[in-house]
Amino acid sequence: MESKTIDFERGWDHVYKGIKQLRRILEGLPEPLFTSGEYVMLYSTVYNMCARNPPHNYSQQLYDKYREVLEEYITSTLSPSLRGKRDEFLLRELVKIWVNHKVMVRWLSRFFNYLDRYFVDYRSLPALNEVGMTCFTDLVYREVQTNIKDAAIVLIGKEREGDRIDCSLLKNVLDIFVAVGMGSMERYEDDFEADMLRDTGAYYSRKASSWIEEDSCPEYMLKCEECLKKERDRVFHYLRSSSEVKLIEKVQHELLVTYIDRLLEKEHSGCRALLRDDKADDLSRMYRLYCKIPRGLDPVADIFKQHVTAEGTALVQAIGAASNAPGVQEHVLLRKIIELHCKYMAYVTDCFQNHNLFCNALKDAFKVFCNNTGTDSSSAELLATFCDDILKKGGSEKLSDEAIEETLENAVKLLAYINDRDLFAEFYRKKLARRLLFDRSANDDHERSVLSKLKQQCGEQFTSKMEGMVTDITLSRENHAAFEDYLRSNSAAHPGIDLTVTILTTGFWPSYKPCNLNLPTEMIKCVEVFKGFYETKTKHKKLTWIYSLGTCNLSGMFDQKTIELVVSTHQAAVLMLFNTSDRLSYSEIMDQLNSTHEDLVRLLHSLSCAKYKILSKQPDTKTISRSDYFEFNSKFTNKLRRIKIPLPPVDEKKKIVEDVDKDRRYAIDAAIVRVMKTRKVLGYQQLVSECVEQLSQTFKPDIKAIKKQIEDLITREFLERDEENPNTFKYLA
Amino acid sequence: MHKLGKSHRDKVQQFMTITGASEKIALQALKASDWNLEGAFDFFYSQPHKSYTDTTHLEELYNRYKDPYTDMILADGITLLCNDLQVDPQDIVMLVVSWHMKASTMCEYTKEEFFTGLQALGIDSLEKFLERISFMRSELKDEQKFREIYNFAFAWAKEKGQKSLALDTAIGMWQLLFAEKQWPLVDHWCQFLEARHNKAISRDTWSQLLEFARTVDPALSNYDAEGAWPYLIDEFVEYLNENGIIQNGQF
Repeated sequence: MESKTIDFERGWDHVYKGIKQLRRILEGLPEPLFTSGEYVMLYSTVYNMCARNPPHNYSQQLYDKYREVLEEYITSTLSPSLRGKRDEFLLRELVKIWVNHKVMVRWLSRFFNYLDRYFVDYRSLPALNEVGMTCFTDLVYREVQTNIKDAAIVLIGKEREGDRIDCSLLKNVLDIFVAVGMGSMERYEDDFEADMLRDTGAYYSRKASSWIEEDSCPEYMLKCEECLKKERDRVFHYLRSSSEVKLIEKVQHELLVTYIDRLLEKEHSGCRALLRDDKADDLSRMYRLYCKIPRGLDPVADIFKQHVTAEGTALVQAIGAASNAPGVQEHVLLRKIIELHCKYMAYVTDCFQNHNLFCNALKDAFKVFCNNTGTDSSSAELLATFCDDILKKGGSEKLSDEAIEETLENAVKLLAYINDRDLFAEFYRKKLARRLLFDRSANDDHERSVLSKLKQQCGEQFTSKMEGMVTDITLSRENHAAFEDYLRSNSAAHPGIDLTVTILTTGFWPSYKPCNLNLPTEMIKCVEVFKGFYETKTKHKKLTWIYSLGTCNLSGMFDQKTIELVVSTHQAAVLMLFNTSDRLSYSEIMDQLNSTHEDLVRLLHSLSCAKYKILSKQPDTKTISRSDYFEFNSKFTNKLRRIKIPLPPVDEKKKIVEDVDKDRRYAIDAAIVRVMKTRKVLGYQQLVSECVEQLSQTFKPDIKAIKKQIEDLITREFLERDEENPNTFKYLA
Repeated sequence: MHKLGKSHRDKVQQFMTITGASEKIALQALKASDWNLEGAFDFFYSQPHKSYTDTTHLEELYNRYKDPYTDMILADGITLLCNDLQVDPQDIVMLVVSWHMKASTMCEYTKEEFFTGLQALGIDSLEKFLERISFMRSELKDEQKFREIYNFAFAWAKEKGQKSLALDTAIGMWQLLFAEKQWPLVDHWCQFLEARHNKAISRDTWSQLLEFARTVDPALSNYDAEGAWPYLIDEFVEYLNENGIIQNGQF
C-alpha cells in the first residue's frame, strides 16, 4: 500500500462509484459483483483518506457522507415503495426493503470499515451499523410502525380464526421490531407486543364469554387446552420466546381465571359432577390447566374435599341406619370406608399428581367422617375390631394372604385419620392379648406385619408393648420345653395333670384384675410345681396368676358317654366342686369358690342356661338368681366327643376408655411441663396450641382437659399466672 | 387552726379522731395529700410510727384475750374481743383486722400477729381500737386493698396444711366479701358450686374469681370463652347460659 495523501474530491469520487455500483446490484440490474480486488481498492481509498494527519484527514467528512448516502438511498429508493401499500402487502414490501437495507449497510460498512476501527471509538460516535440502523428507524420505521403493528395483529387474528397465514413473513416482520431496538427489546415490546397482548385478551374474552354459556365444563376445558397449545405454537413459529409467559398468562386469565367459579360450579358438568361421574380424564385436564395458575387449584381442592366428605358422611349414615346385626354392619362400614379411601387416593395420585393441596384435602375430609361413626362404638374401637376380625381364626372373611395384607395395610392407613389413636392402641392390645392367649391368631406373619406397619405409621413407642407381647408368647414356648424337661427329671414333682403356663411380662400386657379364686386341689398342685420350676430359673421375678385367662380340658363322665369339655379355668373350678358334692346352692358355690357375684353369675349361666347344660339348675329359669340350686347333669350328651363351652367375655369397653383417659391426663401434664420448661413464659392460647401440636401424633386433646391440667399444675406449684396479665403463665423452676 | 376554712377544720378533726394523731401531724398529713382525707390516711400510715403505741398497754390488751393455757389468742378470746368492739364475730371488719395482723389462719392469733397488727394500726388501747373500726371499714372500699384482703382471705380461711379451701367455708367467705363489693352474680355462683362442683376451691380459682367479678359484666357480654379463665368459671358461664339466667346478653 502506498502511503500517499489523497485529495478528498478524488477519493470520494472513487468511493461513490462503488456505491452506485452497489445500488445497481441491489436493484437487480445486471451488474457484476465486486471482485476482491475492487473491494480492496475501495477499502484502501477510505483508509488513505482517514489514516492521515490533518489537514488531510477526512474521517469526519467520510463519516458524514456515510450517513448521507444511506439517507439518500432510503428516501429515494426504499421509502417510496412503501407508500400506498397496506396490510399484508405492506408487510411484504417492508421485509423486502429491510433486506435491501441490510445488504447496503453491510457492504457500505465494509468499504468504510476503517472508520469503525479507530475514528468511531476515538470520537465516541455510534458505530457504522448503528448509524445504519438509526437511519432506517428514523426514515422508515417511524412512519410505518403503527400500520405494521396493526397488520401483523390482524394476521394473527386471522390465524386464530383458522386461516392459514404466512408465518415466515410475520417472523421476519417481528425481527425488524427487535432489530430496531438495537440490543433492547423495548421497541418490540412497546410497539408491538403490548397491543398484541391487548388484542389477544379481547379476543379470548369474547370467545370465553360465549363458550362459557354454551359449553359443558369438559368441552370448555378441551377448548382451553387447545387454545393454549396453539398460542405456544404461535410463539414457536413467529413470536419471540420472551412473549410466551405474558401471552400464556393473558390467555389463562381470560379463559380460566375470569370464569373459574362458573366453570367449576357448572351444574351438570362442573367439578362436582366430574367427581361424581368418575371422569378421571377431565379431572386430570382440570388439574393440568389450573396447576400453573397461582392459587388456581384452591377451589378445585376445596370442591374435592367437600365431595369426599359428603360421600363419606353419607356412607356412615347409611350404614348406621341399616338394621343388620351390630358386628356385621360395622365391619361393612370399615370395608366401605377403605374402598372409598382407595378410590379417592387414586384420584389424588393419578389425576392430581399427588399435589399437596389434594393430599391435605383428602386427609381433612376423612378426618371429618372417620371420627363420627354414629354408633355406640368409637371409630378407634371399630378399627381395632375390624383388624381383629381379619387376624383371628375363623374371622368373617376368607381371604387370600395377599388380600389380607392389602386390607390390613389399608386399615392401618385409616388410622392416620382417627383422632383417638391411643384408644385404638388400647383396644388393639386387648384384642391381641385374647388372640395370643387363646391361640386364636390365624397367622403369625400377618400379626407381625401389622405391627411393623403400625410402627411405621405411628412410631416405635406405639407398638413397643405389642411387640413385647408377641415376643412373650415365643419365649413362653421355649420356656415350656424347659418345663417339660424339668418334669421329666423330677417325676415326683409331676402334678399328674398336663400343664402349660404362659408367662407374660407385666408392662407389655393389658392390666388384668387379680383374682383370689379358690382352686381345686389338683390345680393348686400344678401351681406349686410350676413355681418350683420357675424359681430354679430366676429368683428376682414375682409370678402373679391370672386364672381368668386360662383354659382347661375336663373329662365329663356323663351317663351316655364321656365327653371332653374345653372350658375356662374358672368354669373348671366350678365344675370340679361337683366331684365332692352332688348338689350345691348358689351361696355354697360362692363360699367355696371365693368369686365375685358378677363373675359367678356369668360362670353359672354359661354352664346351666346356655347351649350346653352341663349343670342342671333348680328352678329351671333362664337367669341365675342367688337362691338357685345346681346339680351335675349326668344326663347330658352330645354327638360330638369334644365340646367347647364358651364364656362370654366381660365388656371391657368402659374400662379401656377409662384407662386411656387416665393416660391422656398424664400425657397432657407432661406436654404442658415440657412446653413451659422450654418457653419459661407463655400466653394461654399459645400454650394450648403447642400442647395440641405435641400430642397430635397420639390423640386430639380436649381443650378443657388441658385447662384442668394447667390448673392442677398451678396448685402443684409448677406454674403460676403472671400478676399483670392473668392470661400468661410462668414456669416455676 | 383559725386560718382554715370550716371543711378543712372538720377534716383535721376527723383525722385526729380516727388516727389519734396530734393537730400538727394532722395538718401535715392533710396538706401533703391536698386535703384529701383518704390520701392523708395513707400518708400517715405509711410513716413509721411505732412510737405511737405503748408496748405495755399492748401487753395488757393481749393478756385480756389470750388463752389461759397457750400463748395465743384462740376462739374464746376472739369472741371476747368482738364483744368489746361491739362487732359480730362474722363481721367482715374482723377479716380486715386479721389482714393487718397477717394472721396465718382464722380463729387464732399468735402474740406476734396481734402485736404486728395493732402496731400497724396505731392501736394500744380498746378505745383506740374502737376508733379504728370505721377506718378499717373504709379500707374495703379501696380497690387495691380489697384485692389484697380478698386474696389474703383464701390462705387465712383454709385449714392448715391444706392446699384448697373447703367449699362451705369458701361460699361463706364469698357471701361476706361480695356483700361489701357488690357482685350481682354471687348467689348464682354459690348455687352453681353447690349443685355441680362439690369439691374444694383452688387458690387459682379463688383469685381469678375476683378478676372475673371485676372485669366481666354481669350480662357476660365481654366474657372471652377462649380466655385463660379457670375451667370452673367456664362451667359457671355455661351453667348461666343453660339455665336461661343469661340470655342473649340480657340479665
